[in-house]
Amino acid sequence: MPEFRTEEMLLNMGPQHPSTHGVIRFVVKTDGEVMSCAVPDVGYLHRSIEKISEQATYNGFMPWTDRVDYLAAMNCNVAYAMAVEKLAGIEIEKRGEYLRVISMELNRIVSHLLSVGSVGMDVGAYTPFIHALRDREKANDLIEELCGQRLTYNYARIGGVSFDMPVGWQAKVLAYLEDLELLMDEFNRLITGNKIFIKRLANVGVITPEDAIAYNLVGPNLRGSGIKYDLRKDEPYSVYPELDFEVPVGRGEMGTLGDCYDRFVVRIREMDQSISILRQCFAKIPAGEHLVKVPKKIRPPVGDVYIRTESTRGDMGVYLVSDGSDKPYRVKFRTGSFTAMSIVEKASRGLMVADLIAFIANLDIVAPEIDR
Amino acid sequence: MTVTEYFTNIKDTATSIFEGMTITLSHLVRKPVTIQYPDRTPRPVKETLPDRFRGFLKVDMEICTACLACMNDCPIDCIKIVTKKDEALKERVLTQFDIDEAKCMYCGLCTEPCPTGAIHFTKEFEGATEDLSSLLFSFVPENQVIIPYKALKKEKEETVNA
Repeated sequence: MPEFRTEEMLLNMGPQHPSTHGVIRFVVKTDGEVMSCAVPDVGYLHRSIEKISEQATYNGFMPWTDRVDYLAAMNCNVAYAMAVEKLAGIEIEKRGEYLRVISMELNRIVSHLLSVGSVGMDVGAYTPFIHALRDREKANDLIEELCGQRLTYNYARIGGVSFDMPVGWQAKVLAYLEDLELLMDEFNRLITGNKIFIKRLANVGVITPEDAIAYNLVGPNLRGSGIKYDLRKDEPYSVYPELDFEVPVGRGEMGTLGDCYDRFVVRIREMDQSISILRQCFAKIPAGEHLVKVPKKIRPPVGDVYIRTESTRGDMGVYLVSDGSDKPYRVKFRTGSFTAMSIVEKASRGLMVADLIAFIANLDIVAPEIDR
Repeated sequence: MTVTEYFTNIKDTATSIFEGMTITLSHLVRKPVTIQYPDRTPRPVKETLPDRFRGFLKVDMEICTACLACMNDCPIDCIKIVTKKDEALKERVLTQFDIDEAKCMYCGLCTEPCPTGAIHFTKEFEGATEDLSSLLFSFVPENQVIIPYKALKKEKEETVNA
């Protein structure tokens, strides 16, 4: 057989591509089906949210934190509120803390459902995606009842949360959690245990534990590589120390440790833990005020503060600098999707183009969170 | 790949497909969850929305005190209120109260400081339009003035006088 001369091609995947989970471009160097590398082009969706903070008041910046990570807006809200509270020395009541944890964990379920569903869709299983969206809608309805909006919640306030639970909401959530457990069993039968799906994800896009630490991965991506690191346990904040839950980690059940399947399964198991956390919260929530009285114009003293929270996509940090005025001097968000981008170039070497889609979906990136 | 592995793979695939198909087929006898929005919903969607739903903003001008709290708290300045001193009535009157619903991001920060609850959300959310200016809601009719609500103050004065 004569030797064919082949050339590497430089192709764009994205920015508008159904499998890139938002508007993000990957520059793919490929020779046929096997890639030599894929480089993410970070910055396409930059919206200057951090700059906007310098023109908004402390309270007025809250709606923008929804837009940092639109799938886990509760986490952003709470992280920002916690940063301001720490700087201004505001103590919030226990009920407010519990309501925050309840809303964050419900939000984690919402976000993980979309994530695991879209992994299925990106490897060609459309039914589980629709099932996951169906279950997600019900949780969205509950959140809508709590705070009035389905996506941009704007629920946390400096000093607590904007609303207490509506009458009968607790029973509705508990009923939903019962349903969700059954639906998750069905989901696991449909896709998590499906041999074809396992073959598709196992041994694909392996991130070794050393790489995961070296490339600063956080959240389920880090835990998928077998490293037990969860800020809710390791640097507890809010009322997490009072709650009892496990930190699921990848174990390389179906292939190598740190492959796509491990990260997928970690998210499925985290949802079970969130269900358990929610039940404990409802059992423990004390009476009290959901929002403490804070001055109308918040002027934290000159200084800076850094807050770390475990968002759905991992370590969400807020660095806040105050110059003593009623507007933040600087707000910086540290997000999980941004650091997840750094591993793409290394992990994509030698990967198939179709596996890149599965790998990106598995990293659970949200494009607006990468660029802010 | 050995021959046994080959046949195990085929068997696993077949059982996996069968397992998935049983779930898919079981949906034939379940109630569909799809809502045929907008024309074939069992009830109008507006009626199914929760009380805290954040739809279009509305201002009840009869109880607006013209305190400007909503305008000052709006993070994107979509509320515009103009007041002036009316010479004939000898008091402060509202001449303009506009909300640009096209700009509004429905965060709800304006409804929280309102002392009388005059500015509030409705359950109206279907705002698709060909003309953005139709989403500019004016609550003070053109060339008219509205006297702000201040009943509490008057009551207080009356008790003091009595």
